[in-house]
Amino acid sequence: MEDKLTKEEVLHVATLARVKLTDEEIEKYRVELKQLLNEVEKINDVEGYDKERMIAPWSDNTTLREDKSSDMLDPKEVIKNAPKHSGNYIEVPVVIGESEGA
Amino acid sequence: MYLDKSIKEINNLLKNKTIKPIDLVLEAFDNIEKNKDLNAYITLNKEEAIKKAKELENKEVDNILFGLPIAIKDNIVTKDLKTTCASHILDNFIPIYDATVVEKINDKSMIIIGKTNMDEFAMGSSSRTSYFGAPKNPLNKEKISGGSSGGSATTIAAKDLLFALGTDTGGSIRQPASYTGIVGMKPTYGRVSRYGLVAFASSLDQIGPMTRNVYDNALLLNAIVGKDPKDLTSSSKETEDFTRLIGEDISNMKVAVPNYFMSDIVSDEVKDKIKETIKILENNGVSVDYIDMKYLDKAMILYQIIAMGEASSNLARYDGIRYGHPIDNPKDIEDLYFSTRAKGFGDEVKRRIMVGSYLLSGDNAKTYYNKALSIRDDIKKEFSKVFEKYDLIIGPTTTTTAYNLDEDMDDPLKSFMDDVLVIPVNMAGLPAISIPVGKASDNMPVGLHIIGNSFDEATIYKLASFIEKKVGEIYE
Repeated sequence: MEDKLTKEEVLHVATLARVKLTDEEIEKYRVELKQLLNEVEKINDVEGYDKERMIAPWSDNTTLREDKSSDMLDPKEVIKNAPKHSGNYIEVPVVIGESEGA
Repeated sequence: MYLDKSIKEINNLLKNKTIKPIDLVLEAFDNIEKNKDLNAYITLNKEEAIKKAKELENKEVDNILFGLPIAIKDNIVTKDLKTTCASHILDNFIPIYDATVVEKINDKSMIIIGKTNMDEFAMGSSSRTSYFGAPKNPLNKEKISGGSSGGSATTIAAKDLLFALGTDTGGSIRQPASYTGIVGMKPTYGRVSRYGLVAFASSLDQIGPMTRNVYDNALLLNAIVGKDPKDLTSSSKETEDFTRLIGEDISNMKVAVPNYFMSDIVSDEVKDKIKETIKILENNGVSVDYIDMKYLDKAMILYQIIAMGEASSNLARYDGIRYGHPIDNPKDIEDLYFSTRAKGFGDEVKRRIMVGSYLLSGDNAKTYYNKALSIRDDIKKEFSKVFEKYDLIIGPTTTTTAYNLDEDMDDPLKSFMDDVLVIPVNMAGLPAISIPVGKASDNMPVGLHIIGNSFDEATIYKLASFIEKKVGEIYE
């Protein structure tokens, strides 16, 4: 088994996680991510388990709350932590490119 | 010094007005100042704490936790008090509401002293991934305090104050408790509301108390449990007094020790301490059996898949739009995401969200994630089987005592290995505690791990308190 990921593989997982990497980081993660993935791969050696799945160790029945508004927050407060905002809006860069928008 | 006294003594002093809450608050801040080099805190709440203490002077002392200072791990949101998760990406984040546990603490008239240091987003086992530098172990400043609730463990072990809250996703309360010689409880999943706990791995995360002794620990748990309409996964199980079995007869209790917990992965010195404790139990009428349990050795792999998977999705919200430090003039929105996250997250977090995203992408979800959930279900069943016959399961909390702060951080598996004995508990959602049971030859504490059945924290406290007393007698 190759003990390093390829540069492309690292860039692929970095894209999935939306993280920009420097060349130095790419080299480092080629080794480190491979070490983690090798470990995770060992799950395929486990046999004899039951197919039933547990998403969370939680057994209460789901209950819906009453359809009443409560705990209202002031919109100005809510967006306070957004780095760029104006009035009651959060500012974002252009999402749809010019060619798509035309 | 008042904070050296027992909780009952302090409560009496407050009741008969010999002391006021402000005396306790100022004493705590003095201690923290003296121990500043331990780096236990990210943010102190001095002004507000003093204000609150003065307000309390006009209030009746209506409960045992009244007026007592408490430290809160910095991934639990506190209204108007900075909450960073020890990450650069949140180092300017001021929450606009209180976590449910914080509301409950305020209801008891406890006083929040500050926010404690931790691993970034609770990802790590030594608190060294903190953007603000690692806390130091008060028992030996060359050593780690463990993690991720390293700051909370540090401030309790340094005797700054009596109470702290930590969080435990894969051992993050119990492991630092073990390394610093304090008492740390991870309650049953659902016991304590997670509303306002910054999510790392939602199916594993749980808030719990960290204290100097077992009794105080149970008292703090009493204060924070209960169904919360704001957290769907909080349990509607009735709350109870967790101190109620403390001091009761322990003879005839049945305790199991899984062989895996005493296998070669654990150092001989740690094993010896645990064996001494087992001897004490047997001499007092407890029956102790060594048993085999399936899948315990697989829990770490499951943790890697489940925790990293959930983390990659939970941390998607840190995008430079709602939080964080966005770059100037991004080319487009993707550029904003990529750059903000590259700058805002540390190495361990990046590693985990990359692997987590990969494990959940496309067919990998079937190969890894679904399989992990199936084995997770089997682990839970395996524990249930043991609890049909035994009251509790015990073993060491950690494989060794606390190691040196300058030990290599480049091994991506190391932080998982540190938690190998405590992770199975999070998989099954069970309650478990770590209590100190003496010291190894390096003069660092060894922790005993006591695991209970779901919602049976009271039985854990019963045995823990007995052992605490016996071990105390030996070391006195």
